[in-house]
Amino acid sequence: MRKALGLLLAVGLLAGLSACGPQKAIRAPCPHGSVCLEYGNGSEPVSLDPPKTTGTWEDRVMGEMLIGLTQNDPEGRPVPGMATSWETSPDGKTWTFHLRHALWSDGVPVTANDFVFGLRRLMDPTTASQYAYLLFFIKNAEPVNAGKLPLTALGARAIDDHTLELTLEHPAPYLLEIAKHQTMYPLPEHAVKKWGDRWTDPGHYVANGPYKLVSWRLGDRITLEKNPLYWDAKSVCIDQINLYPTIDAIAAERRVRRGELDLNTDIESNRVAYLKRPDQMPGYVHTHTYLGVSYLVFNTQVPALADRRVRLALDMSVDRDFITGKLLRAGETPAYVFVPPGTANYQPIIPPIWTTWPLARRQAAARALLAQAGYGPGHPLKIEYKHSNSPASMLVAPALQADWKAIGVVTTLAEEEGQIAYQDLRVRNFEVGSASWIADYNDATSFLGLQQSQTGAQNYGDYKNPVFDALLAKADNEPDAKTRAAYLARAEEIMLGDATVAPISFFVNKALVNPRITGWVDNLTDWHRVQYLCVKGAR
Amino acid sequence: MFRFLLRRLLVAIPTLFLVITAAFFMMRAAPGSPFEMSRKLPPEILAHVEAKFGMNRPLGVQYVSYLAGVAHGDFGPSLKYQDKSVLEIVREGFPTSLTIGLSALILASLVGLTLGVLAALRQNHSLDYSVMGIAILGVCIPSFVAAPLLRQVFASNLGWVPTGGLNGPISLVLPVVVLALPQIAIISRLTRAGMIEVLHSNYIRTARAKGLSEPTVVFRHALRAAIVPLVSYLGPACAGLITGSLVVEKIFNLPGLGKSFVLGALQRDYTLVMGVLILYASLIIALNLAGDMLLAVLDPRVRLS
Amino acid sequence: MSVLAPNLRRDSRTMEQAAAKGRSLWDDARRRLFRNRAAVASMILLGLFLLAAIVGPYLTPDHYDTINKNDVWDPPLTNGHLLGTDSLGRDLLARLLVGLRVSLAIGVVATAVSLVIGVTWGATAGFLGGAVDELMMRFVDVLYTLPFIFFVILLMVTFGRHFLLIFLAIGCVEWLTMSRIVRGQTLSLKQKEFVEAARASGLSTRAIIGRHIVPNLLGPVVVYATLTIPGVILLESFLSFLGMGVQEPLTSLGTLISNGAEEMDLAPWLLIFPSLVMVLTLMAFNFIGDGLRDAIDPKDR
Repeated sequence: MRKALGLLLAVGLLAGLSACGPQKAIRAPCPHGSVCLEYGNGSEPVSLDPPKTTGTWEDRVMGEMLIGLTQNDPEGRPVPGMATSWETSPDGKTWTFHLRHALWSDGVPVTANDFVFGLRRLMDPTTASQYAYLLFFIKNAEPVNAGKLPLTALGARAIDDHTLELTLEHPAPYLLEIAKHQTMYPLPEHAVKKWGDRWTDPGHYVANGPYKLVSWRLGDRITLEKNPLYWDAKSVCIDQINLYPTIDAIAAERRVRRGELDLNTDIESNRVAYLKRPDQMPGYVHTHTYLGVSYLVFNTQVPALADRRVRLALDMSVDRDFITGKLLRAGETPAYVFVPPGTANYQPIIPPIWTTWPLARRQAAARALLAQAGYGPGHPLKIEYKHSNSPASMLVAPALQADWKAIGVVTTLAEEEGQIAYQDLRVRNFEVGSASWIADYNDATSFLGLQQSQTGAQNYGDYKNPVFDALLAKADNEPDAKTRAAYLARAEEIMLGDATVAPISFFVNKALVNPRITGWVDNLTDWHRVQYLCVKGAR
Repeated sequence: MFRFLLRRLLVAIPTLFLVITAAFFMMRAAPGSPFEMSRKLPPEILAHVEAKFGMNRPLGVQYVSYLAGVAHGDFGPSLKYQDKSVLEIVREGFPTSLTIGLSALILASLVGLTLGVLAALRQNHSLDYSVMGIAILGVCIPSFVAAPLLRQVFASNLGWVPTGGLNGPISLVLPVVVLALPQIAIISRLTRAGMIEVLHSNYIRTARAKGLSEPTVVFRHALRAAIVPLVSYLGPACAGLITGSLVVEKIFNLPGLGKSFVLGALQRDYTLVMGVLILYASLIIALNLAGDMLLAVLDPRVRLS
Repeated sequence: MSVLAPNLRRDSRTMEQAAAKGRSLWDDARRRLFRNRAAVASMILLGLFLLAAIVGPYLTPDHYDTINKNDVWDPPLTNGHLLGTDSLGRDLLARLLVGLRVSLAIGVVATAVSLVIGVTWGATAGFLGGAVDELMMRFVDVLYTLPFIFFVILLMVTFGRHFLLIFLAIGCVEWLTMSRIVRGQTLSLKQKEFVEAARASGLSTRAIIGRHIVPNLLGPVVVYATLTIPGVILLESFLSFLGMGVQEPLTSLGTLISNGAEEMDLAPWLLIFPSLVMVLTLMAFNFIGDGLRDAIDPKDR
């Protein structure tokens, strides 16, 4: 045992001694004269076929290769992409896009038909895309996706090779935002027809964006290289990108610190303050408000949780200040409403009155509600809380359990791998679940639309209130922005009053970026396309 | 010799069959369909998707066709990574896992053997005690404690090796060392015990009495006999290395099969998990077989037992 | 993990001889064991750990899941937290004691499961002999070549992480070596006169196994069990590290260590103390096991 301690001591000593002067970082090989970017991408894409994906980490790869009608500018706002100009009909239901003359990376021209093909493939019921509902504002999209109408009935039409017409069910002021989303990318019909589902293989993939696919080794990296046929190739600085599936953000942090990676798209929240210390890596840390909310969802099909009083009690007793201020503490803010502040065309609503009470009073009120619902010391409420195994969820779950214990509720924690946890929510295999939502487009409907009764799987709690649904439908058809915002705000108030969801915190986006990388602009949407990035001194 | 091999082979084949069968039915018995991805799919669509993965047929038929596929090296598509087949994923990950596994085995054998022999020759001296102390530590310090400490020193502070990822052989140094440590401990103990037993045996005494030089006695006669327990340990060592590789690949972010397996299991990618399982099982079985053969060559008594 | 198995398999031969020498051997063995300083120190340490794991959690001011909202990441010796607090403001000492309790419990219970299966299987095979023995041991051979850790992982993910399941899964993996040792012992024991005598007096097979064979197997079984416990603790911690351990807020040494390793630069105490306890526990079991073996069979000394 003495030897054991001796060895530990020796290792410790060595660690101390070696703290000075490390060697140069060991990086991936980079062709001579090229500018290479080592990019920590957070996770492994399940696919590079747009309709089969749902994740931001997937679009961070695909979006470097495929460009929609609009695209992200350095600040994540929509600017002309494949479309150089567009017109809207007076009723807002018909949009005509004029496309630029551009080529796929194999030299075939990109046409309006590639957009129509992409949309039809998304809506094709046999594709079984989880994200199809996002474009249900396109005419006939919902019946087409349900297999009730043929694909040709979809409101997307190529007038000629460079003119695309979209017909909508109702005006969609956020269309230009969605037009840069992964659901609306054009797909190379010639390649998909030729290779089928395997068109995404390196060697088959064709791109119309700044980069094209070189290789993809699972668990290792995806390599992209500059696409010389991209219309704006001359202003692209970085020649090669290696994207790594950095599931473990702390491991990625070590690699960025050593210079093995140039950036990572996430930081563990509770390490942000530490990393910002002057002796750590303050120049690397980027945080910015994000259009995202984390919330609890109550499964209303569970008898105990069908009772609003029970849901409200659980909602009221969560100490959000502790969660955001002490556990996460990267700048997250307590959430008492569902739509994050900063959402376009929207004013945050006034939260319920209990949110102003101190915690002790809220706990007393919660206990009273539970007592009314028939629960008490002899007969405690018992619930299961389902959450993902991400570090942040693992941190919050025991805190919730403790908060609920304080009002006499017995909580069992059930952790699952992140995607399995969401799958459980979608198939309603949960009682209380942890969920979060990042805006697909900067509009309040991106959040409120989740709770509509026709949303289906992603309305995890099966919330159904005809008044809420009617208000959202009214907003969809309301041309005046102010009146529309008022309808949406009223809807949010009703939804929060029903307490089927309990907002917990508003996100910040966090990234670790080596200061030698230029062109990185912190923004609300967290999109940072590589075509705008460069390395100091490279060009 | 031939009959001995045949008998071993006759055990190996049903074993592999058992693995595949157990894995197949365990996966199918697991709660939750892999296609419960989204909202309830319309029945005709669900049928289409299930047909794509061949899951609309009776279980027995699926089982037989899976077996037939495996026999042809076809493990089906990955349920999770839809752009890739299980075979492709295995092919991408296996070389890395094999490299670190083999390197660790060689390193552990060489170092363990040397330490064990030295300790035996200096039995009850300080060298012996140090080696055995290290051996105890090697068994008692879990790899997930050793790995972060070594990484902190040699990667983060000294910068001799990368902190993670796979960029050339230098990336494999730490993983191999971490993987080898517990095996070094066990092998050195085994070798020491074997050597001590042999050194006290009659035929070594005879050899010494004949006036053979000490190095000849030790290396020509004693070591050869002492190596037998080591060879019989080969199978378990490989099992230990594969188990260890799950941890090591995770810690050092290596694109190996172990990491795919753990992730696949957590994400219920059943086809991927089964493919990896079958590969590892065949590997372990083959290694056991090889170990038995080697043993039979070294120690004729084994063949008869 | 099967890492400790091989040397024992070899030793089972020598143990047979040891056990065969008769009762007076136990007194000798005890004397030898208590002369082994490493083993005695380990027994004292383990006794203390055991006591701490059993009563400790009742004595700490904080419960293992008590969250101190103002004490997140307190270093040791601050705000009344002897070993500091974790990222949720939970007292590390309280969690360490509970973690030790869980790890020891898993170690002991899973070993007990493996003991029951292994002894029954091995004794039956050894006693019955012949074709039954051949069949039963071939089955063990087959299982030996399976990558069991993979099956345990599959079990954990497909049927959920139940405390009981961990016990069972690990126990079911660890019984193989035990059954081999027991079979070897039984084979030699059943030649002995007292077994012959029992058989002659018309005792049933089951009674003979239960009354005569099993008690005489005690020595080697105890040694092997002592060495299985640390293996099981390691295996559980290994599962925890891969994210399949006990469910929060409950914890085990492995879970504490793997969480601590993540935060080793920010809160080193979260790695140091659990690792120390883990390494000491494993070493103590190994020293005791080695000591017991040496005591029963002094040949190697």
